[in-house]
Amino acid sequence: MAVEVVLPALGLTVEKGTILQWLKREGDVVTKGESLYEVEADKVTTEVESPASGILKKILIPEGVEVPILTVVAVITEEKEELPEKYRTMAVEKPEKKVEPGAPKIQEPSVFLTSGPTEIKAPPAARRLAKERGVDLRAIKGSGPGGAILVKDVESFLIKGMPAGPKVLTTPTARKLAERESIPLSFIKGTGISGRVMKADVMAAKSPPKVSELKPRPPVSKYQLGQVIPMNSIRKVIAKRMAQSKFTAPHIYFYNDVDMEKLFSLREEFLTELEQVHGIRISMNDFFIKATALALLEYPLLNSKVSGEEIHIFPEINIGLAVAMEDGLVVPAIPRADQLSLVEIALYRADLVERARQAKLTIEEMERGTFTISSLAQFDITFFTAILNPPQSGILTLGKVEPKPVVMDGQVVVRKTMRQGLSVDHRIIDGAVAAAFLQSLKKKLENPYTTFVKL
Amino acid sequence: MRELTFREAVVEALDMALERDPRVFLLGEDIGYYGGLFQATQGLLQKYGEDRVMDSPISESAIIGAGIGSAIVGMRPIVEIMNIDFMPVCMDQLVNQAAKMRYMFGGKMKIPLVIRCTCGAGRGGAAHHAQATHGVFMHFPGLKIAVPGTPHDVKGLLFTAIEDENPVLFVEDKMMYNVKGEVPEGYYTVPFGKAAIRHEGEDVTVIATLRMGYRALAVAKEMEEKGIGVEVIDPRTLCPLDKETIINSFKKTGKMVIVDEGNRVGNFGSEVASIIAEEAVDYIQAPILKVTAPHVPVPYSPVLEKFYIPDEERIRQAVYRVLEYA
Repeated sequence: MAVEVVLPALGLTVEKGTILQWLKREGDVVTKGESLYEVEADKVTTEVESPASGILKKILIPEGVEVPILTVVAVITEEKEELPEKYRTMAVEKPEKKVEPGAPKIQEPSVFLTSGPTEIKAPPAARRLAKERGVDLRAIKGSGPGGAILVKDVESFLIKGMPAGPKVLTTPTARKLAERESIPLSFIKGTGISGRVMKADVMAAKSPPKVSELKPRPPVSKYQLGQVIPMNSIRKVIAKRMAQSKFTAPHIYFYNDVDMEKLFSLREEFLTELEQVHGIRISMNDFFIKATALALLEYPLLNSKVSGEEIHIFPEINIGLAVAMEDGLVVPAIPRADQLSLVEIALYRADLVERARQAKLTIEEMERGTFTISSLAQFDITFFTAILNPPQSGILTLGKVEPKPVVMDGQVVVRKTMRQGLSVDHRIIDGAVAAAFLQSLKKKLENPYTTFVKL
Repeated sequence: MRELTFREAVVEALDMALERDPRVFLLGEDIGYYGGLFQATQGLLQKYGEDRVMDSPISESAIIGAGIGSAIVGMRPIVEIMNIDFMPVCMDQLVNQAAKMRYMFGGKMKIPLVIRCTCGAGRGGAAHHAQATHGVFMHFPGLKIAVPGTPHDVKGLLFTAIEDENPVLFVEDKMMYNVKGEVPEGYYTVPFGKAAIRHEGEDVTVIATLRMGYRALAVAKEMEEKGIGVEVIDPRTLCPLDKETIINSFKKTGKMVIVDEGNRVGNFGSEVASIIAEEAVDYIQAPILKVTAPHVPVPYSPVLEKFYIPDEERIRQAVYRVLEYA
């Protein structure tokens, strides 16, 4: 019996996914549970397991193609079993279809695609090239006027399997030369009108640098001045969400200073032993996560979202931790942090951060957060404001801990001090509530023994 | 090589034709003593006499009718209709008689008739003396249409027209008479149905007729400095049309702009675009654009007339627009 491999539902809000890579080829023997392909949806890359054992008989959706969830992407058959007839007409990558002699050539309807754009703008030359090379135009992002898919987009797709870059003004001759020399156009500074890249610019980019230019340079950003960078899917999501949050929720901000001496000594006491017993190093962040969760228990309004004209208080306290990645930022959340022990929080945190950096989080892990903590302590930041992570209504910001002169009992003493900040959605959270929450959190952190040591 | 104006090249070709072949004679309004409205027959009456260079009454039908009759009986008439705008007056003689006769009578007679006429706006000629309707005549089978774009070509094409056994509509752009260019001495021909590539390029094909060829060439040279390769093709004859050269260029560039001074609808460029759509569809990378006069009568106002005529800026804009698809 042939078994269909479908693109699974990757999360509540996910409608489509892009197949990044097939880990098996047609004809390979696969076992149930073995990873078949990688799919990307929203920000997450997931490996999808084989639903059955047998032969990966037919891949219907090639790499780089975005399809709706539950689309049949491949078929697994038993050894020696023929591919059922109905799947033969479904393959995307087969441009030439055998037509019975005399029968008129009809475009095979796209049976595998249940939704998505039906109208594709592409001049005939681009269509011909795509057809000749078996490329599905739907997989290609057009860079021409009105999003038209141009010949160069198809060519670029064939070379890199990627959409053509953003439109770099260039002369056709320069473009051809740059392609021949494999120099990305976005790296060439154009000297023509409106920065148009000219043939001479490509030649200049191509020629080896002069000796005088070969001075050792300090390592710099991977980006260059004047470069135009297409937003990847993560960046698009971030951009959309940040703008949505900042322009929808009126933010107000609060700060207070926290004396960290006791928390530091408590951690010192725990640290080595916990590391030996549980193999995990408790970080300052783990304390913040726990303390925040406990403060939210006292002030549930900060653990809520606006829904129409209602305030929905989340049923759980799931603390999201903003994790910077090389390119972008994700906020995996530790579920029910109020009920977890420090060690459990530390284990969760270490795992989530590690997988965030490998882009291997699940949608669920990224969407379950009800309140977010963002720390820039490692960058020597004293304090900062943050934009709410929608639909949440509160975000805590942590600056660096540093020794500061403070007045205690009429004496100036030096204490390890941290400035924490809170941004809240002022539509539903009044200043006094937010201030009281921040005060509670400060007390919890300044009196760690009563907060964290429960016997 | 020596340079002549377009006008001098016409006069020289007519002079040589009269000299070379006693069957050749000229007939038209004001072509004799006046030397032609644009002096394109200047001095020929004095040299060859009234029997061979004849001023005609103001009757376009009579002019072409006389041409047809004399051609049938073995002469090589070169008749002149002063402005192509007057052609509708003698449309029956031209498209029903001259163009069809050889076909209708089973090839019993030949009609080696040359009908010279002028076209084009730019001299304040307005709606009746400044049109560029050469493209219209492509519609009629049996007519050959020459649209010379340089002094060199006008001389060579004129000899080919005179030697052709069929009626040839020979359209001279009146704004080109003072344009100078290299013209070989003596007799030579430029074949019909063979386009000239005025400028080679890889990126955009520009088909341009008559003086539009010069404007397209200027744009091509300017674009070349910017690294954009514009291939400029002068079809030289609309019928027969050198489809091969046009299509081959298009297969290379995938982008085309057609520049022609005719009104926009039913323009020569419409036919070229249709040929591309039918015969080279798989090579189309961008919209095929026509740069033409708008679909209005030629305005008399000098300001509007200048606006009416396709200029370099419009060609440039069209080239940039198709390059958006590059």
